[in-house]
Amino acid sequence: MSERGRRAGLALLPLAFLLLMSILPLLRLLQEGQGAVSADLFTDPYLQWRVLWSLLQAAASSVAALLIGLPVAWCLARYRFPGRSLSLRLLMLPFVMPTLVAAMGVLALFGPQGLLGVNLQDTPWLLLYGNLFFNLPLVIRAACEGLAQLPASRIAAARTLGATPWRVFWRVEWPAVRPWLLSALCLVFLYCFSGFGLALLLGGQRYATVEVEIYQLVSYELKLADAGALALLMLLVTGAIATLYAWLERRLAAPLKVDPVLPRRPQGMEWLQLAAALAMLLLFAGLPLLAVLWRALQALAVSGFSLLHDEEVLLALGNSARFSAMAVLLAALLGWLHALAARGSLWLRALAFLPFVVSPVCVAFGLLLLYPQWSASLPLLLASYALLAYPFVARSLAGALDSLPRHWPQAARSLGASPLRVFARVEWPLLRPAFRRGLAFAAATALGEFAVTLFLSRPEWLTLTTLIYQRLGRPGADNAASAMLLACLLMLLALLAFLIIEWPSAAERPLRKES
Amino acid sequence: MLRLEGVCKRFGHKLVADQLSLTVEAGEVLALLGPSGCGKSSLLKMIAGLEQPDSGHLSFAGADLAGVAAEARRFALMFQDFALFPHLDVLGNVCFGLIEHGVARAAARQQARACLQQLGLAGMEARKVWTLSGGEQQRVALARALVTRPRLLLLDEPFSSLDADLRRQLQQEFRQQLQQAAIPALLVTHDREEAFALADRVAVLQAGRLVQCATPAQLLAAPATPWLARFIGYENVLAEGVVPEQALRLGPEQPATAVRRIIQLADGVRVTVAGADGELTLTLSAREVQQYAARLEVGSLLHVGIDRAAMLSYSAAC
Repeated sequence: MSERGRRAGLALLPLAFLLLMSILPLLRLLQEGQGAVSADLFTDPYLQWRVLWSLLQAAASSVAALLIGLPVAWCLARYRFPGRSLSLRLLMLPFVMPTLVAAMGVLALFGPQGLLGVNLQDTPWLLLYGNLFFNLPLVIRAACEGLAQLPASRIAAARTLGATPWRVFWRVEWPAVRPWLLSALCLVFLYCFSGFGLALLLGGQRYATVEVEIYQLVSYELKLADAGALALLMLLVTGAIATLYAWLERRLAAPLKVDPVLPRRPQGMEWLQLAAALAMLLLFAGLPLLAVLWRALQALAVSGFSLLHDEEVLLALGNSARFSAMAVLLAALLGWLHALAARGSLWLRALAFLPFVVSPVCVAFGLLLLYPQWSASLPLLLASYALLAYPFVARSLAGALDSLPRHWPQAARSLGASPLRVFARVEWPLLRPAFRRGLAFAAATALGEFAVTLFLSRPEWLTLTTLIYQRLGRPGADNAASAMLLACLLMLLALLAFLIIEWPSAAERPLRKES
Repeated sequence: MLRLEGVCKRFGHKLVADQLSLTVEAGEVLALLGPSGCGKSSLLKMIAGLEQPDSGHLSFAGADLAGVAAEARRFALMFQDFALFPHLDVLGNVCFGLIEHGVARAAARQQARACLQQLGLAGMEARKVWTLSGGEQQRVALARALVTRPRLLLLDEPFSSLDADLRRQLQQEFRQQLQQAAIPALLVTHDREEAFALADRVAVLQAGRLVQCATPAQLLAAPATPWLARFIGYENVLAEGVVPEQALRLGPEQPATAVRRIIQLADGVRVTVAGADGELTLTLSAREVQQYAARLEVGSLLHVGIDRAAMLSYSAAC
């Protein structure tokens, strides 16, 4: 079979899957959006505020992530200090953290009876803080990467031409990291704008986003046409941002292999600068997780493990494990096929981005509209988990396949290995770390999934995330304590995924911009 | 002008400067010659102010350089990869230093244009730097360094990324430009040809130590140590001195030696023989082969002797 034909064959299954699970539901949504909309939908001040606030909080989060992230990234990239590589690795942690855990951490810090003694509930700050927890590391990683691409000689040349370190930053470093930052900020805006879990739990009545509104219209008020119109609006905005992102990403220069700037020991006042940067990092990326741990330990001290001994918990744990395992299996299959098919094909690779940039709420809603007869069937739930999880496997493997020189397998063939042996002895060992990383991301995604589950789940399919959400909604200290314990459990499971992703592969280049 | 006294610098276990003392005089081009990894580039960075020495003194025109930031020294450093700024065009690159020194933009542009014209780059002002050829990039980097009228020009292997033909052509041009500009320059290189072609004096470094500092002619006439003699290209280096080609004698009256290796050249043969003092390598022209070694093969005998009077003895280290 020709190379083209073989690739088309490989692409068949993932493409059909994307079409059925993502593209068709979105098209159905577009149709619904033009339907019988309430006449005053967009003149309603309540909804106008929702849309305005969604845009506003996304823009504010982006600006804050830039203002805080860039100086922190500069310090991490330029200063050498004990624990530097650990800090850089821990930046990956929010990428695998379920939104529910983060939201509970934020509430434990700044909610009613918060650990810090300030109640920020029903203010915009809770949501903005939660947004920064997830998105600050994204900006920092992007800026670090951009700064690392800058050859040391360029900075030294600017210095000897008379530029002070501050001027060097503005005239040499800033122009070099700007494209990296812009593309990261696009993602930040996208994630914040279409964020669901955080806004649902932290936004309260006044500061929830359009996504939350869509969920409420669908689940509680059954106004499908209005929800469709809002979803259409969401799609237009996210589509525009995603296009901008794809265009910016394409413009990023290929990594130059020149001598990078080596980090140096800070001196004098620079230690203060570094300490401030690390404090910022701890405040925004570390504190919510520590708060969850602290609160869970408190709950444990009061009532022991008895809170976890009930049938619901066992059911939820079993379901979470079962669903995640099945979703990961499916994601592994689809990810392999997509990665192999996408080798050398730009648009196939870009297509793997689709589930990242489309909001899960829109997809879940579209699935409900498109397949009403399956709205409460397990295969649909699992397929939507796989939809959200498999791009991680596909992207990770595609990257590894690209960096695998074609002449290595050729050399193995000429040394007498059959194609199957070449795969077993050369390609597989080289691809395995990337595959493992992709699977860990996929598992973390399935485990922490929340938005789609709320739409498509049934009571008997209780998972950890839905159980936590239910318990949060029930009155009583016991329910709050057990929700916190379960959130801590979820956090530890995500931590496990993180360890699989980051630890053994210290020598490898970590994946960039995945969330 | 530039004076280094007892400069020491250590990176981890590696000693890159060990009690180094050097001077560069006004208008002089001094080459720092040494094998890769001997500490030449680190020394250049210390002079530029990008690294601090562990001990020792650096001064320029009598003023101590300790505590003077890189940007305040007015020493322009030109890099192996030229380090042109990709976000600026050719003119923007050449203007960079002028603007940092507070020249108004319009005046900076005018000066930069004049400098580009002088270096044969007129009309290239708006070009993106990555569209330039290697030679053009090198000239832009030189223009960027010269236009600020630096007090000292520091050059880090400025020709090593160019191919051999272009290198020779540009080296000549470069020498003229430096003389015209009358700016003292310090050139770091591992290539002895480049050092001899461009520099008034050559300082040879070995593992962070200065082995010898002299004019190219002096270096060739009296190398300080056997290592240095080998490094600057002598092939027959004996314990008591160097045997240059002209000190080797052929003919039946010379002792017979066994031929060890033969390498055919375009215009002759390189022969290595086992003499009484050790191996000797010599180049025979086609005529000499016919005259002295008609049946040349490994194991055959060739009469080769040394004229002791023409040998070069080692000078004491400077």
